[in-house]
Amino acid sequence: MYAIAIHGGAGAVPRATLLPAREQRYRAGLEAALDGGYAVLERGGSSLDAVTEAVRILEDDPVFNAGRGAALTREGAAELDAAIMDGRNLRAGAVASVRHVKNPVELARRVMEKSRHVLLVGPGAEEFALEEGMALVPNHYFRTPERQVQLEHEQRGERVSDLVPPTRATEVPKGTVGAVACDRDGNLAAATSTGGMTNKRPGRVGDSPIIGAGTYAKNGVCAVSATGHGEYFIRAVAAHHVCAAVEYRGLTLEAAMRELLHDILKGLGGDGGLIAVDGGGQIVMDFSTEGMYRGARDSSGRNELAIY
Amino acid sequence: MSRPLARPLRCLLLAAAALLGSGPLAAADRPLVIVIHGGAGVIERAHMSPEREASFRAGLAAALDAGYAVLEHGGAALDAVGAAVRTMEDDPQFNAGRGAVLNHDGLCELDAAIMDGAAGRAGAVAGVHHVKNPIDLARLVMDKSPHVLLAGQGAEEFALSQGVVLVPESYFITPERLRELEEAKRAAAGREPTAPLPIRPYATKGMGTVGAVALDAQGHLAAATSTGGITNKLYGRVGDTPIIGAGTYADESCAVSGTGQGEYYIRQVVAYDICAMLEYQHRPLAKAVDVMMHDKLQRTGGEGGVIALDKDGNTAMDFNSAGMHRGVRDSRGRREIAMYRGSN
Repeated sequence: MYAIAIHGGAGAVPRATLLPAREQRYRAGLEAALDGGYAVLERGGSSLDAVTEAVRILEDDPVFNAGRGAALTREGAAELDAAIMDGRNLRAGAVASVRHVKNPVELARRVMEKSRHVLLVGPGAEEFALEEGMALVPNHYFRTPERQVQLEHEQRGERVSDLVPPTRATEVPKGTVGAVACDRDGNLAAATSTGGMTNKRPGRVGDSPIIGAGTYAKNGVCAVSATGHGEYFIRAVAAHHVCAAVEYRGLTLEAAMRELLHDILKGLGGDGGLIAVDGGGQIVMDFSTEGMYRGARDSSGRNELAIY
Repeated sequence: MSRPLARPLRCLLLAAAALLGSGPLAAADRPLVIVIHGGAGVIERAHMSPEREASFRAGLAAALDAGYAVLEHGGAALDAVGAAVRTMEDDPQFNAGRGAVLNHDGLCELDAAIMDGAAGRAGAVAGVHHVKNPIDLARLVMDKSPHVLLAGQGAEEFALSQGVVLVPESYFITPERLRELEEAKRAAAGREPTAPLPIRPYATKGMGTVGAVALDAQGHLAAATSTGGITNKLYGRVGDTPIIGAGTYADESCAVSGTGQGEYYIRQVVAYDICAMLEYQHRPLAKAVDVMMHDKLQRTGGEGGVIALDKDGNTAMDFNSAGMHRGVRDSRGRREIAMYRGSN
């Protein structure tokens, strides 16, 4: 069995503020990413290519907080983080605080495949992108009017949601996109990409590019991508915690994720969501927030998109 | 099925262990402990002059005693690991703070992290160029910001906002590290860009990184790690040191600090995985560390060492490289400093 799951962020998704037309945009965006990733698996491609493709599509869609349309720092710039991990051999690549790379997940993949390192940050990561022949884009490519309004709201002290670029949103900022997949060969992969929190301090790095926190994949165990209040996910080593609970304690993926989200993270005061797939292609999606943009599709006929 | 069983079963095992006398120790029986490392690598007698060896041992002793003094005066494990690491950052022999190794562009880029095991809080910085004691900035990130990890210029902005005085890059750069960089560049010529940077013969070099773990009178654990990374690294490269769970981790029952080829440590989530094996598989600390260093890491080709400490004061200092600068001191009179295989 092959399978892919994606998320477009978890947080408060107040039904009242999510107008039908806007909800339709999110659903269309999720569907496009799911289609893109699933098509790779269907034609026999690797889980690594499938998660790269799904996340790249979400990065290009300005309604999600990654790539174009990312949340802005307190200085009004986009600073992007991304990671990818190959469950076959535990190879991984990640970038943090890049400002001019159109698709951070592709740069993360280059770090994994073309450098001896796992994590590159800031201007050094962009130097590497140039050496790899990637074209850089100006920072304003990422900035959308909705995100600027959102930043102004946040800076006026009105809490906003990174999930729902406002008119009138409330609540804690969260966002992030991600994908996990299991291919025909049972290989697992995970990828995550984000603009982080609205009004974040320049230089702040969340859990997305931290292998073990926001992103992890290990064949035969699980592949995990997280979204939520990144600081808590780092402290709990969230993604690896789920895999360790499955591997060492024999918990089901579902039980491991429930424990992490609803006991451990809740206990620390953090919330968010996780998507994961195990070596048999079984997908689990869970969250402790009001909603999580998510989708799942597998070769046994499962096909769903959901927000609440 | 397994979940409802897991907790009662664990309690039962703990109760049984307590009856057999190997359960968690009462406060009175629990020692104060600090363990430090000053980097792992090809540390061999053949490459070490007696003067140089004495100088390293003195540097380790100073850090060990600075950290232990905090514990002895009733201080917190968190303060003890901060003091020990700061001492080694200030000592140019170690690859952290002053005397850190240089990146491909000849600059220092420093990473550090600290974690409070009792509260599960953490702070870290990556890629800073002008902060004299990165470990102190990591502590400020933990104590004074809502974040865990700040990188690059943003981290230095935060330092300034906290009143930290920045120093010029030249403060960190030593002639020895410049020579090493030249040698490393020569050695790297023609090497595949994905080939790991080697842990080089120790004559002047090592895979530095410094770290400490401690257990205080309250029974709280803490871990701290600081590094300049690997000589000739790409500009912007971040290793395992500031990655919570990879090079640095502490919770209520276990604290770990690592030193080695960071990329492998990140991929294996080394520090957290050791604690997970301890807590979930009920392996003794030394066994969990042994599995990580000599099975999991060795299998993927990762080289280096770790120091680890559990809530009862059990310690482990293990490495799969030729040697590791290390030291341990506790309130039962143990005080050891070693560099090579075996106990010296």
